[in-house]
This record gives sequence, structure tokens and C-alpha cells, in this order.
Amino acid sequence: MADPVLNGIALRLEHYMDLLGKRQQLVAANIANADTPGYKTKDIDFQFEFASLMEGGTPHVIEAPGLAVKNDGNNVVMERETRLLSENALRFSLASNLMRGEIRRVRSAIDEGR
Amino acid sequence: MSLLSALSVSASGLEAQRSRAELLVENLANAETTRTPEGGPYRRKDAIFSSAPQSSPFSAEFQREMGSYSNGVEVSEIFEDQREPEKRFIPGHPDADASGYVAFPRMNPAEDMVDLIASSRGYGANVSAMAAVKDMIQKSIDLLK
Repeated sequence: MADPVLNGIALRLEHYMDLLGKRQQLVAANIANADTPGYKTKDIDFQFEFASLMEGGTPHVIEAPGLAVKNDGNNVVMERETRLLSENALRFSLASNLMRGEIRRVRSAIDEGR
Repeated sequence: MSLLSALSVSASGLEAQRSRAELLVENLANAETTRTPEGGPYRRKDAIFSSAPQSSPFSAEFQREMGSYSNGVEVSEIFEDQREPEKRFIPGHPDADASGYVAFPRMNPAEDMVDLIASSRGYGANVSAMAAVKDMIQKSIDLLK
């Protein structure tokens, strides 16, 4: 899929940011359900989805493995969720800065042509 | 737009924790209440959470059509403590029974205070999640600058 304006890097960045957004949504849902009896932590296998879904599509939601289940059947670990929350935000910030560079490159090509 | 629906997931968390805090405060306020409209002493209330579609109906409908997922939380039930009231011997109290015992709510203020702290922490966690997502949305908007 060749894009005439933005190159492959920009397309990969777009996909990366999209996936980060979806993951952040799951983290938000886990935090909101931290006190819900029987709720299981949800996540996506980030590396796998990023490698296999380059053409877009909906990532598979899995239950995060290896978390201790509390007495009420809930296994949300708040420390894990807050770590993921800030990790996702930082990755997104990095990706959006790179993307901004890509867009600036295109814009300067347009402006210099005047 | 999954980032915007993440905001309403967090909003549902805020709403649920707030309703729980309201019930806990009500319990503390009514710790000594011997009269209620239903008759008898006040009974301790608590909320049961269940995961549910996010709070914004439009967004929830849209996400379902798109085959996407998003679990908010809601208060599915408010249950009343069914334990026997605590009997205190106060003869002459207007609500005393024939043998001079008054039924008071069976309540342990420590229990409610601990739950209140948990609820307030949960509220704070949802606020942090919202701030992080808002930051991501702002970053995306800044791409156009």
C-alpha cells in the first residue's frame, strides 16, 4: 500500500498510535472495574497485534495471564494498570512527536513549492 | 474513536465510586437512627458493582456496531444489611420495646470509613486514567499544529 504523500513510517506510526489508544481504553476499563466482583483484567498482546495487524482491523482482547485472583473473583492489580497507563501515554507521546516530524516534512515540501 | 470512548469508561468508574461514597456517608450519618419510613432502625447499605456497557448510549451503540468492546462499570444493586439490629437497654426511650430494649442499626463505623477510603482511592485512579487519555487526545490534536 503506497501512499503518495506519507511514507511507510507514517503508516506504521498511525497503526501504532491506534493500537495504543485501544490498549489505553482497556486499561481505563480495568481501573473502572477494580471493585467489580468477578471481573478479570483485560489486555491485548501488544507485540503480536502490532506485527500481525498492519492492515488495520480489531485486535483480540485477552485476559491478562498470571494475576492473582482475590476473594471476590476480581484480579485487577492497580499497580499494573497505572504502570500501563503511563507507559501507553509515554509511547503515544513519542509516536506523536515522530508523526509530527513526518507531517512537517510533507508541509515543508508543499510550502517550498510556492 | 477509541480514545474518546476510553473517557466515558473512566466516567462510568467515577459515577460508580461516587454513588458508593454517597451510600457510605449515608450509613455514617444514620449510625444511630432508630426510625425509618419502612419502620425499625436504619439498615446499612452498600453498592454492588457490575461491568456494563459504557455510560454514553450513543458511543456504546456505535462501538457495538463496529464490533468493538468497552466495559464501563455500573451500580447494579444496592443491598441492605440483613443482620439483626443491635439491642441496647434504654428503658424509657420512646422506641424501646416492652422489656426496655431499643433496636439500633448494627453498624461498625470503622467498616464504613475503610470502604470510604477505598472508594476515594478508586475515584482518584479513574481521574488519573482520564487525565492520561485526555493528554493523548491533546497530543493527536497537536499533530495538526
